[in-house]
Amino acid sequence: MTDEAAWIAQAQRSDAKAFESLYHLHIGKVYGICLRMTGNVSEAEDCAQEAFIQAWNKLDKFRGESAFSTWLHRIAVNAVLGRMRKAKREQDRIRLATETVVAPASVADTGELRDLSDAVDRLPEGARHVFVLYAVYGYSHDEASNMLGIASGTSKAQLHRARRLLAQQLKQEGFEI
Amino acid sequence: MNDIEREDKLIAAASTLATEISPEKDLWPGIAAAIAQPTRSRWTPVFAQAAAIVLLVGASSSLTYFVVKDQQRVIEIVPSGLVFEQASFGGRYALGVDYQEARGDLVAQLDVELARLSPEAREEVELNLAMIRGAIAQINEALTDEPDNALLQELLVKTYREELALMQRVGGLTQHVMSRKDI
Repeated sequence: MTDEAAWIAQAQRSDAKAFESLYHLHIGKVYGICLRMTGNVSEAEDCAQEAFIQAWNKLDKFRGESAFSTWLHRIAVNAVLGRMRKAKREQDRIRLATETVVAPASVADTGELRDLSDAVDRLPEGARHVFVLYAVYGYSHDEASNMLGIASGTSKAQLHRARRLLAQQLKQEGFEI
Repeated sequence: MNDIEREDKLIAAASTLATEISPEKDLWPGIAAAIAQPTRSRWTPVFAQAAAIVLLVGASSSLTYFVVKDQQRVIEIVPSGLVFEQASFGGRYALGVDYQEARGDLVAQLDVELARLSPEAREEVELNLAMIRGAIAQINEALTDEPDNALLQELLVKTYREELALMQRVGGLTQHVMSRKDI
């Protein structure tokens, strides 16, 4: 049994110490997707925390049918979507973003990728979510649409929109990928 | 490079963006504090049978109802609001028939009421309703997994009440708008 499998089994028996080990193992992946999807540090921190709390509460439902990291990803995406629903308008996100740290998602990227990362942050919410799941994390349209609760066709349309907007943005700003 | 090539290159570049990012601050203390709370569901059959949940039941005269007077519809709310009854629960639960009828009436009237609002107010109401209904759908989904979870059932009832209250407020608001126009 791997360390991860052992920690999962122990955490399922309410062992918080084992769950802390799982947290340290997966926080980068969970926080990463939260940050890419929200484009905002404080929101991403809240979403990541919420995701781990939900994971703890649902641990007894994890049967190992998918990788634990995939299972956590799904919970993290739900946490982001739930938080977005709570924010009454997308404008709230923009306002929050301007009040807090600028271009946070790009901190892990360098050079031209930082320009792309900043441009992704500026995409409209729906297009950003699909682009992040499909293009950054490599989920298929079926997987992404399932996670986002939208039709597969909508996912494809949002990706097309995201590609077009990103290309326009980067072209206007004189960046070449 | 044409637009299609540029867009394809974007996708390829996006796949090289960092997918694992460490947060600047340690999030574990907040998580540890939250999971220390006794919130994990540990329902046993005995506890489930012994527990009780507030269910919306019958009680037609005490539920929200419409009074038609002088051809002007007035929404009247009994101060005590919805009537609750303690009931043991198992895997099944249901909203009271009268509640469903009152809700059905409000839903049927909603489009008429919304048409009388300003576009901004209408958008706000529709957004709020969508959020509440999204929450109802999520709770129902969770109840599929845990049909005996009293907290979820209670949350569902509360959320339905929020939806009802919002629809009632829409009715009250449009009547107010109409009376001002009449003056």
